[in-house]
Amino acid sequence: MMGPVDPALRDALAKQFPDVFAAEGDLDPNGVVVPAELHVALAKTLKESFGFTLYVSVIATNFPTSDGETYEVATVLRNPTTAQPFWWRVRLGADPQLATLYPLFAGADWQEREQFDLLGVNFVDHPDMRRLMLSEDWEGFPLRKSYAIDTPHTPWR
Amino acid sequence: MIPNPWLNGLVVGGAVLAVLMTLGALASWWERKFSARLQGRVGTTILGPWGILQPFADAAKMIQKEDLIPRDADRVLFYIAPLFPVTLVLGLAAVIPFAGYWADGVWHGAAMVADVDVGVLFVLALSGLMVFPLWMAGWASNNKYSLLAAMRAVAQGVSYEIPMVLAALVPVIASGKLSVTGVIAWQAEHGWIVARLPVVGFLAFVLFYLTSLAEANRIPFDIPEAESELVGGVITEYTGIKSGLFILSEYLHTLVASAVATGMFLGGGHVPGLAGLPIWAQVVISLAAMWFKTLALFVSIYWIRWSWYRFRSDQLMELCWRYLVPGGLGLVASTAVAVSLGWV
Amino acid sequence: MNLRQRDRINPHLDLDTVDAAADLMALNMGPQHPSTHGVLRIKLFLDGEVIIKAVPYPGYLHRGVEKLCERLTCVQLTPIFDKHDYVAPMTNEQALNIALERMLGVEVPRRARYMRTILAELQRLASHLLWLGTFTLDIGGTIGGGASLMMYTFREREPILDVFEMLTGARFHYNTHQVGGNRHDIPDGWAAAVKTCMDQLAARMPEYEEQCVTNSVFLMRTKGIGVIETPLALELGLTGPNLRASGVDLDLRRDAPFHAYDEIKVNVAVSNGCDTHARFEVRIAEMYESIRIVRELIDNVPEGPICSLKPVRTVNQIKLPEGKQMYTAIETPRGELGTWLIGGGAEKGACPYRLKIRPPSLHAMAALPYALVGHTVSDVVAVLGSLDPIMGEVDR
Repeated sequence: MMGPVDPALRDALAKQFPDVFAAEGDLDPNGVVVPAELHVALAKTLKESFGFTLYVSVIATNFPTSDGETYEVATVLRNPTTAQPFWWRVRLGADPQLATLYPLFAGADWQEREQFDLLGVNFVDHPDMRRLMLSEDWEGFPLRKSYAIDTPHTPWR
Repeated sequence: MIPNPWLNGLVVGGAVLAVLMTLGALASWWERKFSARLQGRVGTTILGPWGILQPFADAAKMIQKEDLIPRDADRVLFYIAPLFPVTLVLGLAAVIPFAGYWADGVWHGAAMVADVDVGVLFVLALSGLMVFPLWMAGWASNNKYSLLAAMRAVAQGVSYEIPMVLAALVPVIASGKLSVTGVIAWQAEHGWIVARLPVVGFLAFVLFYLTSLAEANRIPFDIPEAESELVGGVITEYTGIKSGLFILSEYLHTLVASAVATGMFLGGGHVPGLAGLPIWAQVVISLAAMWFKTLALFVSIYWIRWSWYRFRSDQLMELCWRYLVPGGLGLVASTAVAVSLGWV
Repeated sequence: MNLRQRDRINPHLDLDTVDAAADLMALNMGPQHPSTHGVLRIKLFLDGEVIIKAVPYPGYLHRGVEKLCERLTCVQLTPIFDKHDYVAPMTNEQALNIALERMLGVEVPRRARYMRTILAELQRLASHLLWLGTFTLDIGGTIGGGASLMMYTFREREPILDVFEMLTGARFHYNTHQVGGNRHDIPDGWAAAVKTCMDQLAARMPEYEEQCVTNSVFLMRTKGIGVIETPLALELGLTGPNLRASGVDLDLRRDAPFHAYDEIKVNVAVSNGCDTHARFEVRIAEMYESIRIVRELIDNVPEGPICSLKPVRTVNQIKLPEGKQMYTAIETPRGELGTWLIGGGAEKGACPYRLKIRPPSLHAMAALPYALVGHTVSDVVAVLGSLDPIMGEVDR
């Protein structure tokens, strides 16, 4: 799928984001790690210059470490002409904050809300950062590793 | 036929009431079997032969059911609203002659509860009143779906009243009579409206039929019910026998509307070749003919119901005001011209 | 009042800015409602019957599947995946198993790939038949013409489920895929049964199509309703028939082949209508195409093994490599069903560390605030039905 990314795309991205993309060799098949401040800029470039206009998904993951917690937010886009997907990851600290992609992709509205709901990643400047799946008064974020699967909760009525 | 109007009302009225109520119940069974056959199913089979006793079991169940009233509902209106539709529909049936006979070269109506001089007016007035119970029920239920449905019902009822009146004016102008018996007698003498007034008569019949569908809230005009959008329409909050009365009134309305259309356009109980037979034979044959025509219309209404989709309310209004009302006016005008020129 | 923002409907419209004279009524459609295809709640703000703002509330069917996935091993996950999209379980299983196979680098035997293709297309037919029935049910009424077509489509769906039962022993929730191939080999007489079923369906489909497209009320109710423009559809991440009805020629079966789709030709149906009727047209065309593909493949299933790994004996016999993560997607009847899989979870790597499911239905639901505004309450059911959401998949 991601495999070896199209060399032309890699080179073009390396010109615009020299610190992130190397001009030689394959990109990390797990997804290139992008600094949080370049997140929106990369999405904008991909959408407007490289035709990645189909918003596929956003995935947040919780990684407990010995000294606190880290989060990774992966974003997947797809080029509808070539059907080529492209994804990258952003590493965040214990208090995950990331700029929203809502102004670029209307679909980010619900997807980011879902990740906020389940993992507590706060998407800054999102117009409507509410829980999507769980009830408004739910305590905790279920998909964090620290959230035990048998955590008791009051039934929603 | 019975000279004393009181006695006549009691005997014929009782008979009409009994027949209509039974037919209304059987209609619900018949619709279930009919729709089942259309859809490759079997329908009711268990209670009685072909499941024919099912409607009576349904009625018994509905009477036993718990009577729920929503909180904050307008209790008085909520209680009395279900009484009106059935009453109004049965009132409609009072002026329809279900049979007839030739005497002294004139067609007389028979098997009718009351021979009202302005019968057509009475029919139109009563069907105009049908929106009130729906509005009462929708308002009193304290439910937004019911309220929306009531709004739709009133808009639809009031709008479709106009083309209905226009369509009914065609036989009235042609015959010069305002009583249903008079219209049928004229048709017996001169020929049925659908045939006597070529094209115009038939179009007026179609218009009357369509507007009757709308007045009786049948698909494609069943916007006020619209169960896939508005849950149950005005009867969302009604339980047990109250909702049963609404449902019964719909079957009765379809039956009676078919009977009215038969009387106004298809010659009522009149069939050719009756003159000269003994009166009792004429009455029996015309009674059968009347019911045959009525039930044929009734079947066609349900056939449409089970094979068509539903309009949206604004499309319904557009159909009425943009096409049916001008069309109805045109029909009335052409009938008037035809009559004044002596063509009819 | 300004309902639009950036040339499109503003889904976050501040109701205080709406003209006070409009006197809005808030109507909760659902979670208990006959036409919301499960338990969806849409809060509608109505001016008369016209929708000013629509706020969907998913989540009434949320079962915490992604949390569950972190506790179950890869072998145990397949039956769980059956239950997200309970209208198309076969393709759901395939989405999971393809993700696991790609991560492990396991090759699937050619026979199994052909079988999977046939199963996927049969499942697409079953799913679209159910969609057609419920869609017309919404437009035509539960007591009315719509119900008639629904009865027919459910009758046609039955033989497909029978064929699945012949193969797997289950009418639903099959659990017939495993990492490396399939679990059940083709029984005797299966191909003949599939062909009979396809012949029957191919003979009757034109009738069902005609019942809709020659019905003027159906056309009035669907044309121009629920328009989702192409750029918006892409931004929202609509996929599958919904995206193709918005004029984007993208089908993963053809453009990013999986199963045996690289060996056959798939004709992709695209419509530029962007409205409810376009989505109807695309799905109907897909059904004909699925019938064609099944007929083409059913006689050409190659001989050979159906699984490249040894059959499942213990629940933790498959271990995912740690630190590897990837996105995999296949085309299901509803669109792109993707999985973001991170290896190396509990049970020494037998469980995924994280498994995010990318449900096409959730993205389709996100289109509702845009597609509904300006239409009436009656159109809600038509638009919702045309997007073909399955709430089990939306909420997971």
